[in-house]
Amino acid sequence: MSTGLEKEAETSVDEIAELIGERAIARDDHLNAPGFVINPADVQDVLFDLRDVAGYDHCSCVTAQQYADRYETIYHLTKYGNRTDEVSIVVPTTLEEPVSQSGEPVYRTADWHEREAYDLIGIEYEDHPDLRRILLPETWQGHPLAGDYDQTKPQLVTLAEHANPLQADHHDTESETMFLNIGPHHPATHGVLHVKTVLDGETVVDVDPDIGYLHRCEEQMCQQGTYRHQIMPYPDRWDYVSSGLLNEWAYARAIEDMADIEVPEYAQIIRTFSAELCRIASHMLALGTFALDVYGEFTATFQYTFRDREVVQDILEDLTGQRMMFNYFRVGGVAWDLPEPREEFFAKTRDFLDELPAKVEEYNDLITTNEIFQLRCVDTGILEPDVAKQYGCTGPVARGSGVDYDLRRDDPYGYYPNLEWDVVTEDGYDNYSRVLVRMQEVEESAKIIQQCLELLEEWPEDDREIQANVPRTLKPDTDAEIYRAVEAAKGELGIYMRSDGTDKPARFKIRSPCFSNLQALGEMTEGEYIPDLVASLGSLDIVLGEVDR
Amino acid sequence: MTGGAATLLQSNDTVLLPERIADLTGLGELGVAGELTAAFLGAFIVANLMLATTGVAGPWAKRKITAAFTDRIAVNHLGPAGIFVIVADSVRLLSKENIIPENADRPAYDLAPIIIASSALLGFAVIPMGSGVHLADPEVGLAYVFAVAGIASIGLVMAGYASGNKYSMLGGLRAVAQNIAYEIPLVVTGMSVVLFAGSLRMSEIVAVQNETVLFTIPGLEWAVPAWFALVNPFAFVLFLIANFAEVGRNPFDMPEAPAELIAGYQTEYSSVYFVLVYLGEFLHIFLGGAIIATIFLGGPAGPGPAEIGIVWFLLKIWAVFLLTQWLRSAIPRVRIDHLIEIGWKGLLVLSFANLGLTAAIVGVVFA
Repeated sequence: MSTGLEKEAETSVDEIAELIGERAIARDDHLNAPGFVINPADVQDVLFDLRDVAGYDHCSCVTAQQYADRYETIYHLTKYGNRTDEVSIVVPTTLEEPVSQSGEPVYRTADWHEREAYDLIGIEYEDHPDLRRILLPETWQGHPLAGDYDQTKPQLVTLAEHANPLQADHHDTESETMFLNIGPHHPATHGVLHVKTVLDGETVVDVDPDIGYLHRCEEQMCQQGTYRHQIMPYPDRWDYVSSGLLNEWAYARAIEDMADIEVPEYAQIIRTFSAELCRIASHMLALGTFALDVYGEFTATFQYTFRDREVVQDILEDLTGQRMMFNYFRVGGVAWDLPEPREEFFAKTRDFLDELPAKVEEYNDLITTNEIFQLRCVDTGILEPDVAKQYGCTGPVARGSGVDYDLRRDDPYGYYPNLEWDVVTEDGYDNYSRVLVRMQEVEESAKIIQQCLELLEEWPEDDREIQANVPRTLKPDTDAEIYRAVEAAKGELGIYMRSDGTDKPARFKIRSPCFSNLQALGEMTEGEYIPDLVASLGSLDIVLGEVDR
Repeated sequence: MTGGAATLLQSNDTVLLPERIADLTGLGELGVAGELTAAFLGAFIVANLMLATTGVAGPWAKRKITAAFTDRIAVNHLGPAGIFVIVADSVRLLSKENIIPENADRPAYDLAPIIIASSALLGFAVIPMGSGVHLADPEVGLAYVFAVAGIASIGLVMAGYASGNKYSMLGGLRAVAQNIAYEIPLVVTGMSVVLFAGSLRMSEIVAVQNETVLFTIPGLEWAVPAWFALVNPFAFVLFLIANFAEVGRNPFDMPEAPAELIAGYQTEYSSVYFVLVYLGEFLHIFLGGAIIATIFLGGPAGPGPAEIGIVWFLLKIWAVFLLTQWLRSAIPRVRIDHLIEIGWKGLLVLSFANLGLTAAIVGVVFA
């Protein structure tokens, strides 16, 4: 494993306690991090201190939930320079007056997270710049994840005419801006994303992504499923473009840490092996669809990437029996061993790995070295590292902005710590860098697969334990809370779970990397041209299934 | 390439298609009415020839070519190599409901597809296609082709504005900006050919290219003719690039740009109107190919007897079509501001440099 990065200093619990001081009214430790309970009026104060003094520059997630006697907002903070150094800030509010101070001035990323909390739970955030619903329509009545929500009540959703938010901002009579709805049905939005755009000629002056068209109540569905069996199929449906196993791992990791389950080494290797195959498939798709955005719909590149992705899909199908909705991971291991005859499976994978370098070479010939492509991508969609951190960007988007952050290395899990590979970063901060990062990550993933393959081939036959011994009904301790993340194809995919002692989670919160990355779109595109907006959106590589959940 | 060749040609003028029809059918003896009928018949034949070419290219050849570039098979169910998809597609396209947007500006909305399609057809009137297929041969042939091809811009703008759709309008605006930026280099580069040929008459431009021998390869029977693409490759490349922008193909397919503007000016067109717009686009590609073939590639000339000239001519325009599809598969789209920059700062300057250079060479060397 690469150890090139010096970890930032760890802030001890005592230091945090001292920093927060009197403002901490209680402790509420989570399994992953110490938790401090503070008053709703102290939120910004405490968060500023933690960010500026203690160096917690990454607000990974904001979870909101309702207890019988109170609402609660949890800010899951960590550091880009030291992922394992985590702290949770718990902000309770009363049921009668669920008002809490907003964390948005401290972490820009809290903007959307708090809007979601307001939308689904019903907590209001003071000082929030734009507190309106995010996933559900403006006219929705009630908050679906709140206790008193009536599911049977019919909802009226009206069609509203969109108004140009910059209508009043015409600096002279000559200038005129035009409001344009890009999406939800548009060739370049990669799903049902609706970007409310204001144009001045061809220049983008205001961007407001409108999400929620693909909201499928994934969190609630997980809350209604049992830990042991019923939750695992859902993660495949979040980021549904072939990154299924990476998502499954997010849940697997969270529940295994929560219930203290040790995964056998052999199963860890299979997990690492198959997850990296998923990453290759996902990055191939990202590359192909990005080419669609920049080249036009008849490009050869798109078909080439799909041709090569197909090989990966075949291998995954041999392994899991499925092409997209794998449902292959189990709590404590994987569903079954490698397919028989094993030699054939190994040979197939090896062929793929042998052919990959030539293919990557071909992509470089076709895409990255093309002058027009460079003209389109270099220095467009700039995302500075500081801005990326403020928006909680992770994955290839952050690494394309020079942020050296990868959970596989920084918060080790699976078999990654025992393997030789590197974290790829690029310092262009632009669309081009993000493409380069993905292409190099494909090569790094191939390295990991190669090493796993060698291990699997030589693994003793009598030691192939694919699942740990997990009780049939899993009931974690009452009030156990955990927030755990893995490096999914698009970035940090985190899961927060709270147990109430039953076999189903009391709260299941998904931290989607696409959700946070998409927030940065405005920052990347305002002042640029429409084609750059399209290219930047493509380079973010969002999947709306994961954004909306 | 001298005045001598031009005078020689004028004395034995080519027989045009309407005259030939008049002679063959005896219509010529009926006076003006008969000649008019013969002219219409000729126009009908040429128009159908080009529409048939487009019909093959649009629903079938384009799919097959793109598929070959992208590792696919494309249509293969109906007939040999799926060729009968042309019939199926025609029925499908024509039987669809023609939806006209509520706030479309009529009749501009209805006229635009007709203008787009017919302007390209008009251009073919003066193109010598070989084997006697040549409708008219006016003195100002080349200028006429550029003029009628330019009418299409009006059609694009009308379509863009009249659709009552913001994407259409952006597409229409782009189309105008692009056409203005690229029509000037196109015409100026075309002028350099006129300097060589000493005439705007299409038949003469073709004749001059084939009269002169550029050089002979020792040991080979066939002498390399002085096609202007070989005489002045620089002008040829300039003209090709400007032509791609003019007909709106990759890397300059800005007015449609599906990933950005959905389908640009044609977003709102459906059914018959869509067919007309689509047809017009392909006709324009072929008209561009025909101009290139005529002024740079020796028109219908090629090895073999002169009677099969039309085969060579069709081969040449299909070659240009193939090139457009190849670029479409392989090259990214440039951005609108880059496009305008390339047009005004690059191509325009280069085309004037080319014109000056050609004038100097023609003036000094051939004086």
